[in-house]
Amino acid sequence: MKNFFTKYSNQINGYIFILPAFLIIGIFGIFPVFFGMYMSVHKWKVFKGRFLGFENYQKILGDISSFWLFILGLLILIFSYWFWSEYKNKFKNKFYVFLLSLVFLIISLILINYSWSIMMSTGDEDFLNSLIYIFYYSFFAITTEVGLGLLIAYALYQKLKGKQLFQMILLLPYITPAVMGGAVFFLIFGKAENSILNEFIGLFGYDPQMWLFDKRKLSEILFGIKIDGFFAGPSLALTTSIFYGVWSYTGYYAIILLAGLSIIPSDLYEAAKAEGASRWQTFTKITVPLLMPIIFFLLLTGFINSFQAFNHILVMKTSSAGETMDVVTIEIFDHFWDRVKFGYAAAEGVVLFIILNVLAVSQYVIFRKRLNYD
Amino acid sequence: MIKFYHKELIIPYFILFVILLLSIYPLLYMISTSLMTAGEASNQYMFPKKLMFENYLEVWNSNNFQKYTFNSIIISVVIVTGVLCTSIPAAYAFAKIDFPFRNIIFYGLLISLMIPEIISLLPHLLIIRGDIFPLPFGPSWMNSLKGLTIPFFGNVFLIFLLRQYFKKIPNELWDAARMDGASHFLFLRKVVIPMSMPIIVTISLFAFILAWNSFAWPLLILTKEDWFPVTVSIYSFIREAGTNYNLLMAASLISIFPVLLLYFFTQRLFLESISNFGIKQ
Repeated sequence: MKNFFTKYSNQINGYIFILPAFLIIGIFGIFPVFFGMYMSVHKWKVFKGRFLGFENYQKILGDISSFWLFILGLLILIFSYWFWSEYKNKFKNKFYVFLLSLVFLIISLILINYSWSIMMSTGDEDFLNSLIYIFYYSFFAITTEVGLGLLIAYALYQKLKGKQLFQMILLLPYITPAVMGGAVFFLIFGKAENSILNEFIGLFGYDPQMWLFDKRKLSEILFGIKIDGFFAGPSLALTTSIFYGVWSYTGYYAIILLAGLSIIPSDLYEAAKAEGASRWQTFTKITVPLLMPIIFFLLLTGFINSFQAFNHILVMKTSSAGETMDVVTIEIFDHFWDRVKFGYAAAEGVVLFIILNVLAVSQYVIFRKRLNYD
Repeated sequence: MIKFYHKELIIPYFILFVILLLSIYPLLYMISTSLMTAGEASNQYMFPKKLMFENYLEVWNSNNFQKYTFNSIIISVVIVTGVLCTSIPAAYAFAKIDFPFRNIIFYGLLISLMIPEIISLLPHLLIIRGDIFPLPFGPSWMNSLKGLTIPFFGNVFLIFLLRQYFKKIPNELWDAARMDGASHFLFLRKVVIPMSMPIIVTISLFAFILAWNSFAWPLLILTKEDWFPVTVSIYSFIREAGTNYNLLMAASLISIFPVLLLYFFTQRLFLESISNFGIKQ
């Protein structure tokens, strides 16, 4: 018996060591997804009801086949990028490769547009709109965060005095809890005419705004045109929550990008300096292109992560902003918390899960090739 | 001192100062509002006329606020302890012990990072209520410390970070220890953990901040106020009509304080691990 233990000591120790973590992650991390799928095909209000099949999905998406068409469209979109990046250097005539990937791109856009409009007319409009809202949120938040972060990282890279202190302050918003941060933003972006921000924009001659309490779309406020649908843009209330996201995450991305900057060989900068390039030129001609893989990576992972934004949006939600702040997580939360439709909420969760996985596939396709600086 | 004659550096400094001001302004405004009278706060003054430090006392002594703060502290400390107890052995096993299916299990766990929290929230709730399978220690974990903490004891991300660090420890150390008759457990306790203190402190801080900020989960499973953490109590404070903003800000500031304190002590490690993580991915 003793022999057995010494012989298999590695195996036994290994499994014992991972057992606690494995059990908890298994039960609370992995099992819920499968259970969520199980719930989504049942009528489930607080307690389990009868088997429904795909009825919940039908209510959400209208026509399930058009959802798959939509996913197919997304995949073709990714494929067109892959096709371009894979073959542009393998053929002499780039033009045909370009043309072909352009054709794929157009096909994918038509598919997405077509399937989306079918889903919109037959499915749960609130849920589908919430997907659009979270798209706005993620898209605008992440591009601003990474863009600003890059600027900050570049400024910090200039061997400034007090770099450590700057970095420390930059990360303060990131560690501030969303509930408390949301509370201050509630005040700063207040609807009162003499709120801090309204007084500030007043200095530049702008009218006071209702911020978190305003459900007008950005296109209406900025350009005075009233349109519906995707191109109307986020509401002013949602934009305010985007500001919060930017406030909270920009420093975090700046720190990561700063670390990225430090692996760019310094002789490149010296060469540029010897050629008499200005700082702005070195930034746009050397830094940005060399950092492109990291920037792209951050944009994509950040986009996927901000699809799950929840806490601060729940805190900053006001009733007068209406449904324009109901991003997808809020919508799901609302369905099972306030309206106690567990099965329906689970089905919405599964749809979100599928979409996130498609985005993850795109991440994999784009970053197959390792980052290198040769 | 800053050399202003160095013309090229003016723009970077300018950008940084503006951004830093924007980063820190909401926090400064929180401080300034927390020292105002109720009237000043609702009229959104920039600065208080007279510093009302009483606000802090008033918040601290009112509405079970102390209890909520202690709840948050207990919840966070329990989660950090639990997460360390499961993550350190697991990360060690994944990094240093050779056993069958090791990598398959590890990558299987990594995939679970892809799962959005909102999807798990609902099944979690049913598990905690004891609807899916019978729970140890009682029929339901609703309204209890168990329910608030145990689901967070396993954290793949922290295991991943630890494993990266443990991998760098040379194998020769283990070979030597084994010659002296040490078990894996002893080696982990006497050699690996003391060597890895920096990363352990960092992930404890990460775990603490995550636990302190947790909001949706307590909101879901707490129907009574007994175990309310500060985040939930401040949320309900915001939702109340006619809130006194000066008190709200004082309360927020008190409840951010522990996180800030920890951050100041460990910021160097914290910065390092964020930048390393960004590159390694």
